[in-house]
Amino acid sequence: MLSVLICDDSMVARKQVAKCLPQDLGASIHFAKHGQEAINAIADGKGELLLLDLNMPIMDGYETLETIGSLSLPTKTIVISGDIQPEAAQRVKNLGALDFIQKPVNAEELRNTLIKQGFIQQEESASPEPEDLPEEIRDCYQEVANVAMGQAGDYLARIMNVFVELPIPNVNLIEISELHMMLSDVDKQESTSGVCQGFLGDGISGEALCILSDSSFEDIATIMGVESKVDDQLQLELLMDCASLLVGTCLSGIANQLDMHFRQGHPVVLGQHQNIRELIKANERTWKKTLAIELSYGLEDFNVKCDLLLLFTEESMDMMTSKLSHLLED
Amino acid sequence: MTSSTVEKDALSELLEFHWMMDMIQTVDVGIVVLNRDMKIKVWNGFMEAHSGLLPSQVRDLPISEHFPDIKESWLKQKLKPVFELKTRAFITWEQRPYLFKFRNYRPITSSAPYMYQNVVFSPLVSATGAVDNVCMMIYDMTDAASAKKMLLAFQVKESEARERPY
Repeated sequence: MLSVLICDDSMVARKQVAKCLPQDLGASIHFAKHGQEAINAIADGKGELLLLDLNMPIMDGYETLETIGSLSLPTKTIVISGDIQPEAAQRVKNLGALDFIQKPVNAEELRNTLIKQGFIQQEESASPEPEDLPEEIRDCYQEVANVAMGQAGDYLARIMNVFVELPIPNVNLIEISELHMMLSDVDKQESTSGVCQGFLGDGISGEALCILSDSSFEDIATIMGVESKVDDQLQLELLMDCASLLVGTCLSGIANQLDMHFRQGHPVVLGQHQNIRELIKANERTWKKTLAIELSYGLEDFNVKCDLLLLFTEESMDMMTSKLSHLLED
Repeated sequence: MTSSTVEKDALSELLEFHWMMDMIQTVDVGIVVLNRDMKIKVWNGFMEAHSGLLPSQVRDLPISEHFPDIKESWLKQKLKPVFELKTRAFITWEQRPYLFKFRNYRPITSSAPYMYQNVVFSPLVSATGAVDNVCMMIYDMTDAASAKKMLLAFQVKESEARERPY
């Protein structure tokens, strides 16, 4: 019997891939949460076929492929990722992957790929693992953010001609006091500039915060092809352009998956050259709890650090959860 | 359906179209539609009144023709994601006080030298799903900008006064 190993940090994604495996593949299915687990499982003979995600904590997909290559482990890999930049597909193939499938994966595409690569036999399917609801919903949001970000990254890569290092989205229900802590990843020493922008639609409302570290501006100016001197005025313009791009593409990625449309308000400058604490002090009073999706973008070979925070109001969550319920169905 | 009801429907549609156009003309927001060649397709009443240029004077001309301050290369770069990715693009008055140099709406009671503007570029998706035109909306932000500038000036004065108590 063929052993299939599904490696993804998101439980929703693992289940979705397992669900999409053809019935007649006749495989025993194993799961891994990150690359290191996958390497161990393959060494135990649990992964003749590896279905691998790219963005994962501990050991990501690229490192996993490198390790498989250097240890000559007995496995064939198909990458399934939300990172749909053309260069990502090329990179994983250079690292020895057989094929590349875009997230969200569907049964037909997976089947065709498996046929093309000469797998497929018969019977037996995945047994979904039991799980508790809050974790499931959190995971669901995480996966939605992941797919949206992959699309956003692809757009950015095409517009700016750079390779975008996609982050792992961080999804949490947080209190205002925790927001500061959550942003502690952003260097404390460094001053930042930020804009915020409200969005709403179909009973879902929230605000997007885009925070750029001040040391990023020189490189962003280079990427955007700006030749004049980077003064405050120009920095603001670059910040605004970055924010429009990131917020716009990310929101439309999320809206597509929810089958809806967001209206965006006009962005407001939170401040320039301040620390994070000062930046978000202004809207401290207006809310208590929020669903926060945190994305930290980086650009390869450039010193650019940009944090995008999507904050949804508490009232929005029921509507979002119901719109996402199709992802939770078995 | 008789031919007279068809005519009636067509007439009411035409009337509806007419008042909708009137709404675009009279709304107190500047509306300009640009095509992929950066040429002006729509120039509403707000733009007409503030610029003193008739729609017939600007239609099918590049925006830089009458407004040389607006560099075409800059505008093209700004509109690239709007055309290609269907996302909105924004300019705030903090970043660029105005895109079109218009006079302040209240010449007597307001001290601002010109109209501060927020600008939104929004994609107009055609029936085929492609974006052939972009709608530019110009908002008058003069009151908000003056208030914020006054507040900032006050804060600076206040902190200077604290440093020098005599």
